[in-house]
Amino acid sequence: MSRSWSSIDDFEAFLNNGGIVESDDSMPDEYRLAVFRFIELHANSEQMGGLTERDWIPRTPGLRHKMAVIAKTQDEFGHAHLLYMVAADMRIKTRREMVEDLYAGKSRFHNVFHYRAKTWGHQVAIAFLVDAAALASQQAVFKNCSYGPYRRILKRIISEEGFHMRLGEDRMMRIAQGTEMQREMFQQAIDDWWWPALQLFGPDSKPNDMLLRWHIKSERNEVLRDRWVQKFVPMLQSYGFTIPDPGLRFDDDEDRWVAGPIDWAPLKKTFANVGPDSARRISEASAHWEESAWVRQALAANKTVNELVQA
Amino acid sequence: MSLTEGSAIDMLRLEAQVHSAVSSVDDPEYPGISIVDLGLLETIHVEPDGSTVIGLIPTFSGCPALAIIADDVIAAVQEVADVSTCTVDWLSSPAWHADRISHEARSCLERKFTVAVQIGQRSTTCPLCASKTVEQSMFGPSRCRSVHTCTGCGETVEVLRG
Repeated sequence: MSRSWSSIDDFEAFLNNGGIVESDDSMPDEYRLAVFRFIELHANSEQMGGLTERDWIPRTPGLRHKMAVIAKTQDEFGHAHLLYMVAADMRIKTRREMVEDLYAGKSRFHNVFHYRAKTWGHQVAIAFLVDAAALASQQAVFKNCSYGPYRRILKRIISEEGFHMRLGEDRMMRIAQGTEMQREMFQQAIDDWWWPALQLFGPDSKPNDMLLRWHIKSERNEVLRDRWVQKFVPMLQSYGFTIPDPGLRFDDDEDRWVAGPIDWAPLKKTFANVGPDSARRISEASAHWEESAWVRQALAANKTVNELVQA
Repeated sequence: MSLTEGSAIDMLRLEAQVHSAVSSVDDPEYPGISIVDLGLLETIHVEPDGSTVIGLIPTFSGCPALAIIADDVIAAVQEVADVSTCTVDWLSSPAWHADRISHEARSCLERKFTVAVQIGQRSTTCPLCASKTVEQSMFGPSRCRSVHTCTGCGETVEVLRG
């Protein structure tokens, strides 16, 4: 049953009481747009992530890792699919419009997909560092998300991403216990991916962040980022790897790691789709979309035939 | 206690302990749901010397979770006092089927994960409002799942199918 609110104050009181909004509710337009943009960004990122994983299927070493990469590829596309369906239900853009905007370079996707995964070491660092950052962000959204359909999808996505984390840890342990060459490869990957992974959390949340106010996010960016630093700095150091942050120090009084100053310019470039690998990523994705046009035509034709047969 | 002279009752007791250890292992993608409730456990063989072989069947043969599930099962079974060694065999038959999922696991999938279970070609209902769902795509995030929408409330529903 559709609900409506007489004012934004009324609506915010509902959210502050733990209210959950459903797709057929008459939610305020600003809220609808904010949630939609958030889910679209998430869906786009899963889609671009799936394409990245897919590229690695033939290059992944060993059957065990290869099976995991194949399944992860399907997971990411499956997540994108579910998220696009939930976003489309908000009646701002159709699924096709979202995908076409993504491939035309008109939409955003997460910063980490604007860089190129060049070696298996990079893939391990992505599965280990980036996936953990993405999972932490998603868990923080899930914890208190006021939009019901997204919250329910997130529940399952988080369980699956948690499984990816275990695969990432498995890969990291293997490479960390490997040959000197493998360890060097992984150190290079940490040097290349540490900052993009850390920047995934975004700059400090603004005091008037509407995503926090409307219970779409539950924790501030800097809190999530800091928690990630506290976990991964000691873990990587315990395996004998170094962190590429010259300003990083351990504060004895506070008993915690403090990261050096963060240069946000690379993140801003990815927002404008002009990161180091943005152009190649978008044009490859767009080429895949055009090459698979015949599949969509065949499915549409099949649907028409079925409808004619049933009529 | 040594089981080298193990009586039939001791062996049964040990098998029961092994069974409950296997039951304590959750599916890596569905925390809180046991692999036994999902119908993955097929056989338990315990020898008098405590060596144990667990026969499991995968939901599909290319499942990437197999190694992790086997590691978790071995770790849990080796906690049992009289078990000396534990190995896991992935069996090629019988084939896993959605009707192996227990009633409890089905209701947990519906309540906790908004996932419906489809047996054969039977129709499925929405975990939220119990209306009929319609398939949108044969495949979801894994090969054992498809994606449906609810004809009542419009929810996007994942369907675990056999």
